[in-house]
Amino acid sequence: MKFSYNWIRELVADLDCAPAPLERLITMKTAECEGIEPAGALLAGAVIAHVETAEPAAGHNVTAIVNLGPLGRKTVVCGAPNCRPGLTTVWAPVGRKIIDGVESDGMLASGAELGINKDHSGIIEIEGAPGDPVPGCAPDSIIEIDNKSLTHRPDLWGHVGMAREVAAILGHKLVDPVKPDLLPRTASRVRIAIEDLDLCPRYSALEFDNVKVQPSPVWLQYRLSALGLNPISNIVDMTNLLMAELPQPTHAFDADKLSGDTIFIRPAHPGERFRGLNDEDYTLDASNLVIADASGAIALAGVIGGASTAISDKTTRVVLESANFQAASVRKTSSAVKLRTDASIRFEKAQDPANTVRALARAVELLREISPGIRIVGGVADQMKEMPAPPPIELRLEWLRRKLGRALEPAEVRRILERLEFGVAESKPGVFLVSVPSWRATKDVSMADDLVEEVGRMIGYDSIAPVAPLVAAAVPPANPERKFQHEVRDVLVDLGFTEVYNYSFVSEEAVRAFGFAPEAHLRVSNPIASDQALMRASLLPGLWHNIQENAKHRELFRIFEIGLEIHKREQGLPEEVPHLAAALFARQGDGAAGLDEIRHAAECLMPGAQAQPAAAAPCEHPARAADLFWKGERVGRVFELHPSLIETGRAAVLDLDLDRVRALAGAAELRYTPIRRYPSSAFDLSVIAGLRDPAGELQSKVRSFAGPLVESVEFLRQYSGPPLEAGQKSVSFRLTAGSPERTLSNDETTAIRARIIEGMRALGYDLRV
Amino acid sequence: MSEDSIRELVAGSLERIRAARTLEELEAARVEVLGRKGALAIAGKEMGKLPPDARAAFGKLLNGAKQTLEQSYEARKRSLDEGALSRRLDGEWLDLTLPAPGPRRGHLHPITRIQRELEELFRSLGFAVLDGPEVETEYYNFDALNIPATHPARDMQDTFWLEGGNLLRTHTSPVQVRGMERLGPPLRMIAPGRVFRNESVDASHEHTFYQLEGMMIDRDVSVAHLLYFMKTLLAAIFHREVTVRLRPGYFPFVEPGFELDIQCLICGGPGCPVCKQSGWVELLPCGLVNPNVLRMSGIDPGEWNGFAFGLGLTRLAMMRYGIDDIRHLQGGDLRFLEQF
Ligand SMILES: [Zn+2]
Repeated sequence: MKFSYNWIRELVADLDCAPAPLERLITMKTAECEGIEPAGALLAGAVIAHVETAEPAAGHNVTAIVNLGPLGRKTVVCGAPNCRPGLTTVWAPVGRKIIDGVESDGMLASGAELGINKDHSGIIEIEGAPGDPVPGCAPDSIIEIDNKSLTHRPDLWGHVGMAREVAAILGHKLVDPVKPDLLPRTASRVRIAIEDLDLCPRYSALEFDNVKVQPSPVWLQYRLSALGLNPISNIVDMTNLLMAELPQPTHAFDADKLSGDTIFIRPAHPGERFRGLNDEDYTLDASNLVIADASGAIALAGVIGGASTAISDKTTRVVLESANFQAASVRKTSSAVKLRTDASIRFEKAQDPANTVRALARAVELLREISPGIRIVGGVADQMKEMPAPPPIELRLEWLRRKLGRALEPAEVRRILERLEFGVAESKPGVFLVSVPSWRATKDVSMADDLVEEVGRMIGYDSIAPVAPLVAAAVPPANPERKFQHEVRDVLVDLGFTEVYNYSFVSEEAVRAFGFAPEAHLRVSNPIASDQALMRASLLPGLWHNIQENAKHRELFRIFEIGLEIHKREQGLPEEVPHLAAALFARQGDGAAGLDEIRHAAECLMPGAQAQPAAAAPCEHPARAADLFWKGERVGRVFELHPSLIETGRAAVLDLDLDRVRALAGAAELRYTPIRRYPSSAFDLSVIAGLRDPAGELQSKVRSFAGPLVESVEFLRQYSGPPLEAGQKSVSFRLTAGSPERTLSNDETTAIRARIIEGMRALGYDLRV
Repeated sequence: MSEDSIRELVAGSLERIRAARTLEELEAARVEVLGRKGALAIAGKEMGKLPPDARAAFGKLLNGAKQTLEQSYEARKRSLDEGALSRRLDGEWLDLTLPAPGPRRGHLHPITRIQRELEELFRSLGFAVLDGPEVETEYYNFDALNIPATHPARDMQDTFWLEGGNLLRTHTSPVQVRGMERLGPPLRMIAPGRVFRNESVDASHEHTFYQLEGMMIDRDVSVAHLLYFMKTLLAAIFHREVTVRLRPGYFPFVEPGFELDIQCLICGGPGCPVCKQSGWVELLPCGLVNPNVLRMSGIDPGEWNGFAFGLGLTRLAMMRYGIDDIRHLQGGDLRFLEQF
């Protein structure tokens, strides 16, 4: 939102604060300023000039002699096609320079150069006495305020509201531009029929005739241009001025194009068609509020006027609408038709219904100036909802002190609130009853907490000294999930893995490459790009991308990510499962070393975890994939990425469900067991098995025959080659047997050994003993 | 044997012992002189032939010679042993300047580093660290935070909507609500985490970034307390005193709401490009918790109140490490990540 410093100066009596300090004050007490831009810089010293002679010079230029009245005559070389004797225009003192051998003093300027409008087809044509300043046009400073910081302040979308803030901050008086007495008291000719007073709490209108549509005076053009608006014609410019000033959106209908004498405010009929001023066609439904005449919709309430009743050069009669619409309804319609206008942005903030007739009064004054001869037809048509004033807010000053953490004199609180035009009555000592002005009552201020802000910002938060809070000492509840994830990170970093973060979005393509079904993924309705439309149900596609990218400049690397898998559920929120995905990429080698290392990482995280061969998924090396089990539960997977998924090299991957791992890690409480007093004895066994018989399975089988006296069965080594037959290997284990109560006898150990050998032989395994 | 010949024998043997270059030569010398059949042993046997009065003196002489030679032998043997050991050990020379084998230590993500630092800081101040889902309901992300569907504040946050009507949380504030519901007052909590906004990505904008939400609810919490707390917190984050200021800021879940600025750490106030010449850098939104928010989470605003703040972890990490392109953070490039 842009504010003209000159305009604010007109609205605040005796404003004596320059733009830069004013901007700082507004930032500290009201809303965030984003900067100050100059406007109309060329107007400094510019005066009305009368062109007396214009002799052709080099090229398209002419050498003009201009009369500046009391300032004398100047010779100016000018390139504008409309520079001709008899023209009244604007001369600006930009210094002397030689152009085509002629000394040119100053310049004749176009409307665009002066910042008055967008016209740069020639120098401006204007009325006035030579030597006079350009009426109502002086260099200005435009203060830009962050719209987000005005979300809750409907009143600050216009200059009067901001001027009221400035007046309150500086202790000056606000100059209200509205003269309510200008409104006629007679009966209205226009009739208004509001169907739902909740959607349209107030609709006011006034009819004018003898209207002359023509360009606005330069001051009005300049005022709008300085705020970045385009001057169009006097009537339209006037409505834009009201919006930037009060800030009441209004709309002018060409009265001759209206059917019937009644304006209806009603929900659109289902499928009702409407063509806007922007020449777009809209198909409406009952959730859209329209303004209609006997023939149909003539405006989309609070959003845009219609093409069929638009003002044109030929317009002579106008019905000026000044209405109030429900913020939610305007917002809904505006987003449904995807059209945000200056009007809809203001209505969305819940405008003050009291402003509709104020805007009409202001319009009367403006129209008399900018469309001379205009006449009011009848009186003000005004239909409105009963709106009792909200009850005053009770403000206990002791409570206010506790909220701010600073004591305040009751007189100071009263002065602050009254400057902001709140009504203040003291109901009992230390308690104020505060009534809220209509422009703050629609949404912004409704409870005592809102008044804390009013007082706080005006005394300045820098006047509040920091105080240490007195709170009970308490040990905060633990977050074991997060703590565990940090521990996992530390283990992996110690093992040489570097942490990556990937997006939660994945592409269908990546999902398919991993053999997952896109339809099993939760879909984003409004994705940032079509390849980021699915929520990740696995961290692996992201990690795959990291592997491909980093393989471009690395021979060997280790990465991991801890993040959430998002799994679609029939109802409610999806399931979010924290996972660890780690990968080791090596350009050289056959991939076995990488798998060893990644399995070692798994062992560091889950001592004693067991891999169990499992059928490979499409993204996995068909002969190098296994489920990981820990304490009897499946917790994840270890595999080599399918070699066809990477250009060169091998990638070993670990994927763990961290919720399960954490549950298992935390399950067993540590208990000390006494160190054994009796020696145990060890012996080795070698099982002859097929080359692809998993050693882990052989080990569990040996274990299953070992009995309670065997403390451990450890893998020692495996061997294949002569004297073994081709396709065979020998897998050796070391068994340790013992008892906490005694030393085992030779016979006992021999019996254990014999039992295992017998058991394994029964399963078809030969044993080397 | 005469006494003189004994002395001669000692002198000669000492010379041989000292001159022995190997343990073998030394052993040979020892056997010849000190061995059971060596020169001194033979001389000892001859002692019996001497007259009784001469025996004592001769015996003493022999003993002295034996001692002298044994000492010399031991000394020489030690020296030869030590030489042998040091030659063997010298052969075991290793180049300890070679890089140690095994992988180098990996690296934590910069956001993880900052986040952990803050988690520890807040825990030390008695704050619980809470988590909430990344996929949220409209209720927790908006309604419970005093942002109803028709509220224009929803425009302030470009939301990713999901099929089925849920959304990706646009801020970590829903965890406030979940925290209040779960733990109730009094409450001190933070919620760091990933949030999403539907924004195009460039060097300074991301659709995925990290926030840290904080909240304290107690019987009597004021703006003065908020100021104290923020100063303490920021001094710990920046490792030095910081000057802060509050100015009005609008966030529906707080009332009053503030933008907290810190005095520019680069120029210290006079103005520089980092602070856009203003001397201040906007750091975090905060405020007193809106009573409607408390009420919706089942907390009586007549009895309890509190403050809340939101810290941009991504922005903080970029400030701390001088990262000039936000896209690095989720780019997965090891050349970037290995710097942390
Ligand atoms: Zn600075």
